[in-house]
Amino acid sequence: MAKLIGGLGTSHVPSISAALDKGLRDTPDWKPFFDGYLPGQEWVKENKPDVAVVIFNDHGNTFFLDKVPTFAVGCAEEYHPVDEGWGPRAIAPFRGAVDFSWHFIDKLVENRFDPMICQEIEVDHGLQVPMELFWGKPDEWPVKVVPIFVNVIQYPIPLPSRCYEMGRVLRQAIESYDSDERFVVVGTGGLSHQLQGARAGFVNPEADQAFLNDIANDPDKLANMSREQYVEMFGSEGAELMMWLVMRGAMDPDVVVRHKHYFVPASMTGAGMIVMENQAIATSAEAA
Amino acid sequence: MSERPTIVLLPGLLCDASIWEAQRTALEPYADIRIADFSQLASIETMAHSALAVAEGPLIAIGHSMGARVAMEMVRLAPERIEKLALIDTGVDARREGEEAKRQVMIDLAFAEGMEALADRWLPPMLHEGRTEDQSLLAPLRAMVMRSTPEQHHRQIQALLNRPNVRPHLPNIACPTLVMVGRQDRWSPLAQHEEMASLIPNAELVVIEDSGHMSLLEQPEQVSEALLRFLGFRNDNTRANHAATRGLKPMGEDAAPDRIPDTPLFDRKRSLRGYRINKMAMGLGTPANREAFRENESAYLDRFGLTSEEKEAVMSRNWREMVRLGGNLFFILKISAVDPVRITEIGAHQAGMEHADFLRDRLGKK
Repeated sequence: MAKLIGGLGTSHVPSISAALDKGLRDTPDWKPFFDGYLPGQEWVKENKPDVAVVIFNDHGNTFFLDKVPTFAVGCAEEYHPVDEGWGPRAIAPFRGAVDFSWHFIDKLVENRFDPMICQEIEVDHGLQVPMELFWGKPDEWPVKVVPIFVNVIQYPIPLPSRCYEMGRVLRQAIESYDSDERFVVVGTGGLSHQLQGARAGFVNPEADQAFLNDIANDPDKLANMSREQYVEMFGSEGAELMMWLVMRGAMDPDVVVRHKHYFVPASMTGAGMIVMENQAIATSAEAA
Repeated sequence: MSERPTIVLLPGLLCDASIWEAQRTALEPYADIRIADFSQLASIETMAHSALAVAEGPLIAIGHSMGARVAMEMVRLAPERIEKLALIDTGVDARREGEEAKRQVMIDLAFAEGMEALADRWLPPMLHEGRTEDQSLLAPLRAMVMRSTPEQHHRQIQALLNRPNVRPHLPNIACPTLVMVGRQDRWSPLAQHEEMASLIPNAELVVIEDSGHMSLLEQPEQVSEALLRFLGFRNDNTRANHAATRGLKPMGEDAAPDRIPDTPLFDRKRSLRGYRINKMAMGLGTPANREAFRENESAYLDRFGLTSEEKEAVMSRNWREMVRLGGNLFFILKISAVDPVRITEIGAHQAGMEHADFLRDRLGKK
């Protein structure tokens, strides 16, 4: 059966890829941010996942307001970058894990999650940026992706606890999938930021740091918070953080934090990264 | 079931749906619009019953002249259903002495010489004194009168002559009420409306400048603006800045702050309100549309049916105003792909801060 080897969390701020495209990686504004990701990239190199399930939200690029799925799952052969206004970015298309996607969709529906099923769909920076942060910018991606789109823009957005529950189904799907592939789950978005209203520019480094701690050690607390609490604590767009709960829900209650990084501000956002392994796996790996 | 409010527009004597065209267009983005038809009815009460039957549930009643009398009758018949009331160029008293004879002259004229003759006699005193020859105004009004018949005129005059005296009921009108009148309305003068507004507990008075009795057509923009503001679909200028920072007020309530201060959530109301502006911005995801926007921005915006207010906000790159009008940053940000501006500048503008102060105080940049 397939194996879950780790849970990753990261921001997906579009300015990150813009900074890379413009060659700003090593400027004073950005270097500390990118350097903080190096251990995460090392972890990925060492552990060589075959499939990345990426939970993110579309930012008004692929979906318009005419049709807003609360949860959507991609099951395409390939995912191309969408034109966000600046033309599609010059990065390799992402390869899909088609068979697993369908298997996951089956499991979701059996478990009373009813997602939109997407056989042709483009992906925006919400998926691109996390992939680049952990895998760099290869000519061909060494990992297949399963995109899970979560609506965190048009209210009503889903409950944080629902994201957490979806993660449990994802875990089931991975562990019941007949394959020897190695999976990582990538929760993306956040951390604190607000783009609209007079509170624009709101960041909350203390709450962000606490979140990076709680996502590992007290995820139930985060799952039981209301949407309003997310908005209040992390800003209107910072509510994206609830998507990390899908990743966390896929993991064991006890995890080991391999790497953690926090930087503020990346553009207008508190930016964070975490790499976690299930404690059971981490311990057996160390014993061996 | 639709969650949009339902507005019923109530026309006056000899008027049909065409008299409401400008207001219908202005209100349509925010509400389901019904226009009552009184052509076959001969009493204010039956008119009110028929208007109450256009939809189930709560209604916003907006009446002009005889239609406003119908609106007040609707409140008397079904006060629980009328959420808001707008009374335009109207009156509250019963038949005046000698009125019947004057009305009879008009009824006879219509039967003897036809609707065109009636239009020639009836319309000019309805208009601002300076515009009785204005063909742009007269032509549509004459056409409307001529679509009617002497019989309809007769029925509606019967309704007017037998109208109830509403004055004693005015203190019982509990819903928010807008009383509006053309300053030069010679038929139902301003003083009469001042009195109405003072007798209705929750009323505000708006005077339409440079307008006679046919204000809907004489000053359509003033009337629409007043209605949009009164109904909470748009805030007036003095409150615009405040509203921009506090977000929009929920329909049918007084201005309420966001539950989380200065944090507009993209809820149903904002999504509906901002649909056009966001769709326009979504369009910028294709090279052809970006080119069209660059070539002729105004024409591009028109393709998406933006109102003049929305166009103004976009063309002046007024981000705060775009958000107030329901624009969501993820969509409207695409404007910055065509006309570059940093996201932090957009943030600073909404926060009402200088860019440098914004970077330092909000984002902690040195």
